[in-house]
Amino acid sequence: MELSLLILQNKWILELAYALLIASISLIIFSKTDKFFRLSLHHGIKYFRNAFLFYAVAFIARYIFGVFSDLSINYTEVLRVFFEYFLIMAGFFLLYSLVWKKFDSKKDSSMFNGRIMIFHVIALVIAIMDNLWQTYFFMFSSQIIIFLSASFISYKNSRKVKSAKFSKFYFIAMLLGLGAWIMNFLAEFYFNWRHLVLLDVGIINTMFFLLILYGVIKITKNGSKKA
Amino acid sequence: MAAKKRERLDVIRDILNTVRENRQIKPTRLLYASNLSPQMFKEYINELLEKKFIKLEVDGKEKKFFSLAKRGQDFIQEYKVIENFIENFGL
Repeated sequence: MELSLLILQNKWILELAYALLIASISLIIFSKTDKFFRLSLHHGIKYFRNAFLFYAVAFIARYIFGVFSDLSINYTEVLRVFFEYFLIMAGFFLLYSLVWKKFDSKKDSSMFNGRIMIFHVIALVIAIMDNLWQTYFFMFSSQIIIFLSASFISYKNSRKVKSAKFSKFYFIAMLLGLGAWIMNFLAEFYFNWRHLVLLDVGIINTMFFLLILYGVIKITKNGSKKA
Repeated sequence: MAAKKRERLDVIRDILNTVRENRQIKPTRLLYASNLSPQMFKEYINELLEKKFIKLEVDGKEKKFFSLAKRGQDFIQEYKVIENFIENFGL
């Protein structure tokens, strides 16, 4: 009960700190993989980086959303759509980084090719629908489907390449992401946004980002050694 | 037993290593060394030229040859790390 009260009293600060933490981790992942992409121009790396760039923008928007939430209703409505759109796109990019080989041609741009444009439109429609109905149902549902698919694919990948030791952790990261979205869904529809549930979501989500950051740093640092 | 099909990045590494070992190599010799079909070879070479990994130069006798560019040299050095990253993240 005391913890719940403490969270409630410091909700605003916790929200801002959390948004800044996730945005920072995402930007570190984005910058750490820059060299790999510039050298290889590998589509998978590009989509992976796009995902974390979009996560960073989403959480920066969330930070601004927190700072200015008392100022103007219209302003925060726009920010909410903005936040949701970037968050949903990040999920799409993360999933697409695992399956791009089946769909992309060599000439495709990683940000605006036909398939990615469909993702942009879907993300925008979901964000607007959620805003119109004042819910997060569509975003949570889409992300649960995305992370369920990503978990399945990363599990298959981890079984395929035994020497790639981090692939098992990447699968765990995807499960954490899935868990966080399911918890988010339950928080809205079954727990009436209970603060302790939201704290759990924040912790699981932070673990998801930290685990991926760990993998990126480890592989970048290890050089030619297997992670 | 059939040899395992080379991945795209392996082919790029092999071509770049061949160019590096020879310092300057004629297109026909590089085609033979690459073990690729002429069509595939052309696609890879165009990509490597586009990415500025190799340079196409012409000598005084109007003969063409390839040489390794700075980015190609960097790629060879970082290849293992990039390959490792792609494998570990399933990209």
